[in-house]
Order: sequence, then C-alpha cells, then structure tokens
Amino acid sequence: MNNESPGFFRQLPSALPGLALIIVTLVVIRMWIEPWMAGAVILGQKGWLIKVFHLNFILLGILCGMLYRNVIFGGTMPEIFSNGFKLSRLMIKTGIIMLGSLYTFSAIVQLGAMAIFLIGGFVIMTIVMVLWLGKLFGLDRSMTGVLANALSICGVSAAVATAPAVEAKGSQVAYAIATILGFGILTMFISPFIGHALGLTDLQYGAWIGTGILNSGQVLASALAFNPNVTPGSAVSIAEIWNIMRVISIPFAVFAVTVWYWAGQSEADSAGKKKGLGTLLVEKFPVFVIGFMVMVFFTSMGAFGDVGIKGGPPASETIKTLRDVMQWVFGFGLVGLGGYIDFKELRQAGGAPLKLGLIVGATKYIMALVVVLLIKDYLVSI
Amino acid sequence: MDFCNIVVAVDGSEASQDALSHAVNLARQSNTTLTGIFVIDSQWADYIGNDWQSSKGARQGFLDYMRKEQEGQAEAARAQFERATQGMEHASFSVHAGDPTKVLVEQASSATTGMLVTGRRVFQVSGRPSLKALAVTLAKKASRPFLLFP
Repeated sequence: MNNESPGFFRQLPSALPGLALIIVTLVVIRMWIEPWMAGAVILGQKGWLIKVFHLNFILLGILCGMLYRNVIFGGTMPEIFSNGFKLSRLMIKTGIIMLGSLYTFSAIVQLGAMAIFLIGGFVIMTIVMVLWLGKLFGLDRSMTGVLANALSICGVSAAVATAPAVEAKGSQVAYAIATILGFGILTMFISPFIGHALGLTDLQYGAWIGTGILNSGQVLASALAFNPNVTPGSAVSIAEIWNIMRVISIPFAVFAVTVWYWAGQSEADSAGKKKGLGTLLVEKFPVFVIGFMVMVFFTSMGAFGDVGIKGGPPASETIKTLRDVMQWVFGFGLVGLGGYIDFKELRQAGGAPLKLGLIVGATKYIMALVVVLLIKDYLVSI
Repeated sequence: MDFCNIVVAVDGSEASQDALSHAVNLARQSNTTLTGIFVIDSQWADYIGNDWQSSKGARQGFLDYMRKEQEGQAEAARAQFERATQGMEHASFSVHAGDPTKVLVEQASSATTGMLVTGRRVFQVSGRPSLKALAVTLAKKASRPFLLFP
C-alpha cells in the first residue's frame, strides 16, 4: 500500500496536466467569463449575475473544480489530472505565506489580540459542547474526540491531526470529514450572501467567518468570495489572521483532547500511547505559519516598500504586484479545492455524528455572527 | 449448482461473518474453491485532499496510522477466514490494495470468479464513502453472479 506523499520535484512532471487544467480554467474565468458577467444584461439589469449571485472568479473557480470532479469526470479525478490537483494544496499554502506581506508586526498584534480572544473562546466552547453532546448521544470516545477538534479548529486538518492520538477508526474519520465538509460547503456559499445582505464590513465579515466556518479552505474561499481584493483590511486579510490563530492551536487542542480521551481508558491501554505537548508541537505544528511570520518580518522591515495601510502612504509597486500574484495563486488553489469536493464523500455523513455536527456547527456559526455584531464597535481595523 | 470459484469479501468484523458462513457452506456443498479477500484502502492520501494546513509530520503520521490500522484489520480478516474454513482443502486468502469498491467490482466481473459473496457493510470500517452504495454499484457493474448479505 503506497500512502506516502512523494516530494514536490518528483511530483512536478506528473502534475503538469492537472496544473495546466487549473491554470486554463482560471484564465478563461478571469479573462472572459468575469468581464462577460459584468457587462451582460439579464432581466434588464447590467451585471445581474454579479449583483444578485455575487459571483466572482473565486466562486466560479470552486464551482468549476466541483464540476470537473463530480460531473465531467464522474466522481473520480482521472490519474492524469490527479497530481496537479493535489499540488493545489501547495498553492494555497504559498498564498498564505505571501499574505504575510499585508501585515506589519504592529498590525498582527492588534488583530491577533482580538483574534486570540474570540478564537480561544470559541475553540474552548466548541470542544466542551462536543464532549458533552458526544456523551449525551452515546458516541464512541474516539469519534467524539475527532469531532471535537474538527468542529472547533479547522476541519479536516484537525481531524487528521487528532485521529491517531484518539485511536479513531477510518470510518470515524470519514464521518467527521463528511460532516465538516458538508456543513462547510453550505456555509462557504451562503456566507457571502448573508454578509452582503446584512451590510457587514470586511472587518466584521472576516472576523465572523474566521470564527464561525469550520474548515480552513472554506474560510479562505468564503472571504475571497465576499471580496476578492487582497489588501490590508480586506475580508481575507482579517479572516486569515483568525484562521492562523486556529491553526496554531491545533497541537494544544490535540493535547487537550488526548488527555480527555486517555483519562477514560485504563492505565494498561494507555501505556506508551500518550504523547506529551512537546512531541505534539514538533509533530503537528504547521510549518507554513513560520513562513507567514518570516514574510511579516520582512514586510515590517520595509523590504517590500510601503504596505498601504489605511491612513499611511500608498502601497509600493512591489506590494501591488505581490497582491496581484496572490489573487492568481489563491484562485488556482481554490479551483483545486473545488476539485476535492466529492459529493460521494458527503453522502458518508449520517447518524449521530451528523446530528452532533449540525447542532454544534450551526451554533458556532450563528453565535460567531451575534458576537461579532455585539462587539463591532470594539473590532480594530488595520 | 456448480461454481468454479467462490470469492468472499472478509474484513474480520461481524459485518462479514454472515456472508463468510454462507460462502463456506456453499463451497463445502458444491466442493468448490473458496477465496477470501481483504482490500486495503490505498486512497487515503487522496481522500484527505481537503487537508492543506497540516504539517508534513501530521499528514504522514495520519497516513502511517491508517496503514497500520488496516494491516491489523487484514490480519483479523485472515484469522476470521481461517477459523471458518478449517479443514477445507481448497481455501485461500489474499490481500488486495486499492479502492475497495473498485476491487469488489473487478472481482465480481472476473472470468475466474464463479460467484462473489459479500456483506453490504463489508470494509465500512475503513471508511470509504463509495461503499455506502455497494449494492447499487455491484448491481450495475457486476457481470458474474453475486450474493449480497445485509
């Protein structure tokens, strides 16, 4: 059984057809479809598709990815395109690292302090709620442990990080992934509508979805769908700081859930299987966050010129070019993300895990909006 | 009825016990070869495609963990098969790798298969979503006779 991921350079030649499909898709969307949508008169209104459905190249890219996998290729990505779509993960990580060029350290401190408060509160609240409901619904402890982190932090990544620590079976991971993705895809598409309907600012919207949407990829997609601009203060710049706070908390949450899980097992069962926080930090800490912080460091040192923060000098040409590149990189990554949305996987969801996921997911999503609206006057923009 | 070779899907769980018992009875009555199969799901790396935030260690750690889990299940399946076929002369067990649904469809369409016997919920512990529609998939694609247990 070959479950190992080969290195980037070994994968690259076989990834070229898939990457080419992703690139051609996004170029066609941005060069022809988007301009056509902006000028098309439907029901007597120019740009009706954009005004009513808030369609932009991000949403269209995700929809195309979904169409490829689920309709054109009949549910399975063909071998020839498969590696290219797998590499889209790397594009999103690259985009997030480049996103560091939107912030200086002082902006990170301002936003981060707010984010820690909200994210910390919601992560703890969600874990406690899942553990309580898991017991109430009589779920297996492994299933509850995976769901607790998947619903509280960042979806699939947290499920993957937690599963070995709580001895989850493959079917339990699949249940958790299906629940998160099903709920996440729904919120990814409806959030921009809700945000526009409520007249949320980029700051409020970014804080809301950064806290309330379950899966990180969907936070990114939903933020860019609301406003595709990648500038300081845009929805994506806020949501991603929130998201990075969640990602950083993965090793700590895995540790907490592991402690809870093994507390319910006998000493003999747990012997040699428990891992300390130090080991988990080394194993589970997402390295791209360090890349992001390095980028923030260079930006703070003025390596790319002025950032263009509100009230300051305009952004330098280097920064403007970086932002244009980022839009393309995120666009490519999100076509790839769409290509990984498999309707068959979503059908796996069901039973008590789905019920629990929907209750907790909906509570978190709605509560995050309520809290953001309550504290909107205290939210600090950059 | 004469079946040249009966293939039975076994996963070591209760879900496959009914199918295995019936397959063993059929094979004994018709003095036919019985082949037990277990499928190790090799698609997990693709399945967790939405995970793009994990560190390489977390991702690979998960894939290694799933491989170990499934190897354990394969051993349990082998033991279950060997217990059920004690004393049978023409019984063998093999482990395949791939998408379990695809492997089962291949087995149910192979010229060397006289009949495929399987439970509807076989291999579900490995978590493949496509297995949820196993009965429909086999009904659509199998070219050899198959016996499906609840």
